[in-house]
Amino acid sequence: MTNLSVEAIAQIEQPLPGAPDNWKRFFSFSTDHKVIGIQYLVTAFFFFLIGGLLAMVMRGELITPESDLVDRAVYNAMFTMHGTIMLFLWTFPALLGLSNYLVPLMIGAKDMAFPKLNAVAFWMVPVFGFILMASFFVPGGPSQSGWWAYPPVSLQNPTGNLITGQTLWLVAVAISGVASIMGAVNFVTTIARMRAPGMYWFRMPVFVWTVLAAQIIQLVGLPALTAGAIMLLLDITAGTSFFDPAKGGDPVLFQHFFWFYSHPAVYVIILPIFGVFSEIFPVYARKPLFGYKVVAISSLVITGLSAVVWVHHMFASGTPGWMRMLFMATTMLISVPTGIKVFAWVATIWGGKLRLNTPMLFALGGLTMFVFAGVTGIMLAAVPFDIHVNNTYFVVGHFHYVIYGATVMGMYAAIYHWFPKMTGRMYSEGLGKLHFALTFIGTNLNFFPMHPLGLMGMPRRVASYDPEFAFWNVIASLGGFLLGMSTLPFLLNIIGSWVQGEQAPKNPWRAIGLEWLISSPPSAENFEELPIVIAEPYGYGKSEPLVSNPDALEVAHESR
Amino acid sequence: MNPAEVDQSLNTLGAPSQPPAREATHGHDDAGNRMFGFIVFLLSESVIFFSFFVGYIVYKTSAPEWLPAGVTGLEIREPAINTVVLVSSSFVIYVAERFLHDKNIWGFRGFWLLTALMGSYFLYGQAVEWRGLSFGLTDGVFGGTFYLLTGFHGLHVLTGVLLQLIMLGRSFLPGNYDKGEFGVAATSLFWHFVDVIWIILFVLIYVWQ
Amino acid sequence: MSMSIRTVITLGLVAIALALISLWMGQQAYTWFPPQASAESVLVDQLFSFLVALGTFIFLGVVGTLAYAVLFQQAGKYDTSDGPPIEGNVPLEVVWTAIPFALVIWIAFYSYQVYDQMSILGPMEHVHGKMVMSSAIAAPPSQPSPTAADALPPIEVHARQWVWEFRYPDRNVTSTELHLPSNQRIKLILQSEDVLHGFFVPAFRIKQDIIPGRVIDFGFTPIREGRYRLRDSQYSGTYFAAMQADVVVESLAAYQQWLTAAAAQPPTEAYNRAFEEYHLAQNPISTGWKIVEPASPPLVNVSTHPSQNPPSGKESKP
Ligand code: HEA
Ligand code: HEA
Ligand code: CUA
Ligand SMILES: [Cu+2]
Repeated sequence: MTNLSVEAIAQIEQPLPGAPDNWKRFFSFSTDHKVIGIQYLVTAFFFFLIGGLLAMVMRGELITPESDLVDRAVYNAMFTMHGTIMLFLWTFPALLGLSNYLVPLMIGAKDMAFPKLNAVAFWMVPVFGFILMASFFVPGGPSQSGWWAYPPVSLQNPTGNLITGQTLWLVAVAISGVASIMGAVNFVTTIARMRAPGMYWFRMPVFVWTVLAAQIIQLVGLPALTAGAIMLLLDITAGTSFFDPAKGGDPVLFQHFFWFYSHPAVYVIILPIFGVFSEIFPVYARKPLFGYKVVAISSLVITGLSAVVWVHHMFASGTPGWMRMLFMATTMLISVPTGIKVFAWVATIWGGKLRLNTPMLFALGGLTMFVFAGVTGIMLAAVPFDIHVNNTYFVVGHFHYVIYGATVMGMYAAIYHWFPKMTGRMYSEGLGKLHFALTFIGTNLNFFPMHPLGLMGMPRRVASYDPEFAFWNVIASLGGFLLGMSTLPFLLNIIGSWVQGEQAPKNPWRAIGLEWLISSPPSAENFEELPIVIAEPYGYGKSEPLVSNPDALEVAHESR
Repeated sequence: MNPAEVDQSLNTLGAPSQPPAREATHGHDDAGNRMFGFIVFLLSESVIFFSFFVGYIVYKTSAPEWLPAGVTGLEIREPAINTVVLVSSSFVIYVAERFLHDKNIWGFRGFWLLTALMGSYFLYGQAVEWRGLSFGLTDGVFGGTFYLLTGFHGLHVLTGVLLQLIMLGRSFLPGNYDKGEFGVAATSLFWHFVDVIWIILFVLIYVWQ
Repeated sequence: MSMSIRTVITLGLVAIALALISLWMGQQAYTWFPPQASAESVLVDQLFSFLVALGTFIFLGVVGTLAYAVLFQQAGKYDTSDGPPIEGNVPLEVVWTAIPFALVIWIAFYSYQVYDQMSILGPMEHVHGKMVMSSAIAAPPSQPSPTAADALPPIEVHARQWVWEFRYPDRNVTSTELHLPSNQRIKLILQSEDVLHGFFVPAFRIKQDIIPGRVIDFGFTPIREGRYRLRDSQYSGTYFAAMQADVVVESLAAYQQWLTAAAAQPPTEAYNRAFEEYHLAQNPISTGWKIVEPASPPLVNVSTHPSQNPPSGKESKP
């Protein structure tokens, strides 16, 4: 091969995995998708802690009916920033990190299609994170209009300044959008054009399918949010009247722009988690993924449907009856492709040889809570019922079950499962199981009580509430604090194991997949020679090889 | 078995993911990826315009007061001339590309420059129109959407012209365009895109009054 | 796919047990709500009960299967073998695509009927007259006859940051407490003077955003006398949580009496929670951020007493 020497040099330039200054590359403008993936994950987790800290203050305020811990304005700023940080600075970057790390490995590529663009997109995350945090220190405080930033509340500017929490919020969200579009272009191109020889569409692991489906949503949805954000920014700063009813504007139009993106965004979040479930269940049940092709395709069906359901967030808004009925029907249809996946996972697990390692526990717990949340989601889709619970804690309960119960649990499952691959170290199984138990109990204690509260009529976004709601709120707050504590064993486990965990072999789980054929952690360019794929994924119980050149994937001395 | 052979035989089944020539470049077909990525980006970009268009239609059909006081409508003559110039420049840039394809570098430069000039003329025409208007950005939703749409599109034209000038400059680097050029193809595609957007915009704002 | 008789019987029994539990849960669901104080609430609660029963069945079905596998299908400690390489089963997959599809159509159709019977939005928004006729047959007996609908003149609801103000234009009465006659179709005209607000009475199970610059016709039928809580349901800024009011449902005679008495009272400045708090709020963590100033309290014939609009109001049961 002609370029062998070039690559050898490239590898020497990158610090070797075991080298003492190995960690330094995580603070550099690296273009290695694996480094970027970990950069994303760590940055996102940092913001998860900040968003969680705000949630702790919120639960502290809500443990009593009175608004007696923080000012109302502060409470409003807290939930606005909590929602924004959790979505834009934790979930999106964390999933991008996971996707960044895994997609090239799983399709047998040496890197993403555009490594520099990839790095630039990542470095925008700390930038807009900083802008968002800075808004705590401007006069008037950060945005207090909720993560939807609905006008006219978001247009109100009692300080009279140009630089307010709201403008900084909009700028941050806009930069986040640009970064996400860059990422999406990169992923779609990588998956469409960088697959290894023999890696046909229907040989791709389901995780890759779900990333593709999620990134297509970003490409179609984000520009609509950007359009709405530009118009809102002009309203605030330049005096236009797009959304200002006092000057002939239409505030409901903004809601359409917002949800046209922000509904599909929830599938951007959950789809890769569906991918994670699809990867993890076969490994720990030792069976092929049931109905692989249908599961793969249903991701794209969800993508398609996700674009035509957004009005379900506006059933009680200024929408006419026909619109409510139409979007009720489309929303409910989503349960069909989703059901296909859920049943496929159950069938995968059924009759398997289950091994309840930490990743499997998190995946099982996540799936359980997802089904619960899906059922409440279908309830919300039923217009007459949604009219009652819209903007109450029932909705807050629904989405924390998907977003914490399924998504964060799924993230944890993924982090544990691929931790040996990413760091070359094994984590502690005992701490992992403790972490799981605390998280599972905490999540249910925290978020289940929100459903009865919503049914009773407790609105969301309130700093004070009527005493009849106190009972369930106390339980929710205690559950919330437990959930906060549950991050400690995780941090202990991850940091401790990274520093001094046992050395990880290539494939500690006896999993099938290209990423498990190379050393842990993989070398800078992943594959010395591109793998030649000759089988479908998930060949558990079939003992057929995945690639025709397993021994040529790495330089001999590198393999462990 | 020789990996290249396996690669060949597998490529005949279903979608080949990469051309066999990939080994020659650094692992993959960079130019092809870039063009693919650029098209994906343009598709995404078009959704922003699409959203603005939808907003415009909603306002026009539902706003209680559409035209600001004292405004009767838009003059269509000058913008129509502008439109003709911009649309024809799409053909001019195509000719330029053909010249490059046929390795006629001076023919390419000539037509390429002509495209940039036509784009600049369009921008100039737009500026003249804006100066002559009796309403501003803050005059109701009509003023807002008008300047938003034409302004956002104008920014794209400006970007296109700048890209054209850069590509023109790069054509003077010796041997630069011998193997075809991604930048030229992308700029040209971008230009067609800006053009199509303008046609929709023109129909929405000027024709449908 | 052949199943032994025993498997079929076991599955059947499990399904019946699940169905019974689900039906029981569906019945429990009625107790999770505030009192049923409107005709609409009866319909909504029935729909919810149905959704809970169905949801319980789906949830227990899926999670029960998972739990069984987790309990009884774990690999032995030294067992490194794989499970059976089953990759799919087309008839099974068709079934589990078709059943959710059918269920979804069922839920959607039922919801549509309920929504149609509620017909809470004004005539402008509600156009399909034929369906009303056909589905009205299913209406519960408590639903009053629609002929009474035109009897009452509409009541105006004015929302602003952070006040609810109710006007009875025909009697020239304004109030910060919403009085409604029982068993009459109520017509409200919802208006906002600044930002979005939401009209939400949990005991009625109804809600509607109020959009500034628009006039929204809204209707429902209270059926149970008592004092209920009206809450703002669309986030409206700093004092959003404090924007509550009381709704009093009383007999038609008592209602008329109240109107007459109210009309005789001279307008006074109403008590307003947000306005009052704005001048004294101090909390352990306070920032002094500049916020939108609450509107001055309105002049009304009938004002809520601070004791009835305490920092956190209470839904009293008659
Ligand atoms: C990852 C995030 C995520 C996911 C996956 C979902 C999934 C779904 N959501 Fe949720 N949702 C949110 C995040 C998410 N949601 C958020 C963040 C909000 C609030 C935002 C805000 O207001 O701030 C929200 C709010 C929200 C609303 C608005 C409520 C309101 O404001 O009044 C509605 C209404 O329809 C809804 C519905 C649904 C439905 C039908 C699904 C479906 O996709 C669920 C499908 C899954 C199943 C149904 C279970 C599995 C299926 C089977 C086992 C098959 C058999 C089932 C049947 C036949 C029913 N969601
Ligand atoms: C990924 C998304 C995500 C996640 C993970 C969470 C996690 C949590 N959320 Fe939520 N939440 C949202 C997204 C999310 N949330 C959104 C979108 C809204 C809507 C906002 C809006 O209405 O605009 C919302 C709203 C919301 C509300 C409603 C507020 C209101 O309407 O008034 C509440 C109330 O309890 C709440 C609570 C919690 C709690 C207790 C957690 C817990 O899971 C958090 C657990 C805590 C931790 C994991 C961190 C623990 C930290 C420490 C122990 C200290 C470490 C210290 C340092 C690093 C300095 N959230
Ligand atoms: Cu008052 Cu919303
Ligand atoms: Cu949604």
